Amino acid sequence: MADYDDFARAQLPRLLRYATMLTGEREQAADLVQDVLVKVYRHWSRISGADHPDRYVLRMVTNGYLSWRHSWSARVIASADLPDEARADDFASDHAARDDMWQRLARLPKRQRAVMVLRYYEQLPDPEIAELLGCAQATVRAHAHKALAALRNGLAIEQMAEARET
Amino acid sequence: MNIENLIKDTFAAREHDAPDSDAVLAAARQRIDRRRSGLSRPLAVAVGATVLTLGAVTAVALNRHDSAEQPQITAAANGSEGNQTPAATEQDAAGLRMPYSLGWLPPGSVAYRAHRISVGSSSANPDVPLYGGEYMLTVTAGSQVLEVDVQQVRMVSVDKATFKSGPGKSVTINGQRGVESSVSTGPGGYELYVAHPDGGSMYVNVSAAPGSTAPAQQLVDAGRRIAENIHFPGTTTVTPAFGLRDLPNGMRICAFDVEQGMDRSSAGPVTNTSYSLGTCTVQPSIFVNSAVVGGPTGTPGQPVQGHATRYADENGYHRLWVLDAVDGVPVVIAGRVPQADLYDIANRLVLPH
Repeated sequence: MADYDDFARAQLPRLLRYATMLTGEREQAADLVQDVLVKVYRHWSRISGADHPDRYVLRMVTNGYLSWRHSWSARVIASADLPDEARADDFASDHAARDDMWQRLARLPKRQRAVMVLRYYEQLPDPEIAELLGCAQATVRAHAHKALAALRNGLAIEQMAEARET
Repeated sequence: MNIENLIKDTFAAREHDAPDSDAVLAAARQRIDRRRSGLSRPLAVAVGATVLTLGAVTAVALNRHDSAEQPQITAAANGSEGNQTPAATEQDAAGLRMPYSLGWLPPGSVAYRAHRISVGSSSANPDVPLYGGEYMLTVTAGSQVLEVDVQQVRMVSVDKATFKSGPGKSVTINGQRGVESSVSTGPGGYELYVAHPDGGSMYVNVSAAPGSTAPAQQLVDAGRRIAENIHFPGTTTVTPAFGLRDLPNGMRICAFDVEQGMDRSSAGPVTNTSYSLGTCTVQPSIFVNSAVVGGPTGTPGQPVQGHATRYADENGYHRLWVLDAVDGVPVVIAGRVPQADLYDIANRLVLPH
């Protein structure tokens, strides 16, 4: 299965970055992708015959994340509870704004976070996200709407930015 | 900055948090290698000591309404679909035999995408290799194109079958218990698992190809009838792109994959071939493959059969590239075995001239 090895080597950087965005943690991303790699090896003959093996494996990572039994996101929340209302001077730098957003993303339910990652990191259109998640496009839009609403909640910088843009 | 741009920037700023690829791949390899110990009774894979060489798409002409008729694989020279002219072979040898045959396929022109015997394992006994055959093909009738996948799934029982479309429903095929998808209108089409007397199940998937349509009932009828007409043992033989002769020390071909190439589009369809070699009582240890992603790596090695080579050692995983071996592409021999073993296999390749 030399081609498996080549495939894995070629896809790994992207998969690991994607898994990092999903899980929010380096170690969890490594575990998640490692599990998927082993499964891919065991089913390589079938996966390699797929029209888009890369997309197939991306779906495996997504499903692995969604079915992850450990409540890592809950643990992250417990260790980094957010203030209900951010103060403007907390966001004096872009770095602080991104850190705040990263923690807000960690609070999202898994499917909402997956939609955020697929839409804004992988930059996939909603039909492809729906196919990856095995749901309707309307469901994707609903997840995105709820996620964006949750992320906006108490986000002072958003209000400030909107004020500047108008 | 609006919130969407902030989200994008946030993700981009975290890219550097991603784990190291080499470390993850090495860990995965360790887990995979651990599965290579243990003993089991191998599935007999009937292959000749030498296989004929041929670059082609395999195509069949079936009497689709005669369930008793077996597929007759005819090699089409140079891979032109629809060309039914048998190709001249440069080696006088048997092809690779499939463990079962398909006795019926939907009406239309059939083009095989893949024949393979794959190796896997069950979660309950991960060290024991399980071998199963698979056919992947398309059937074209007018503007309709159906995709068919028939697979012997040794590691999945009917009880554990799952479907993309939701819960399945019970069905009986030739007296055997089965479960089929309740909904066959989605992109996954119709799926069916039928219990196999020797364990595991047979999986049949019939779906409309992208851009094509088919009524759900047509998919259901076709899938059930395909399952009803699977015959053991197989009589179907497959012509690979390159062969192997006189394998050493009891080594056998445990699994193979002969499939239509997807990536080398410049020269039209080609046949990619791969073999998994070993004793077949444990997981195969040497992999020989003409379907390789990426260019050759490593340093120049000793010539093999007049072909230049490249050799690479990646933390004990050795790889030997035999350049320009099949239709201008390399054959790669790889495994966690000594370098000499790779050269030994390389000298036993039967390459087209």
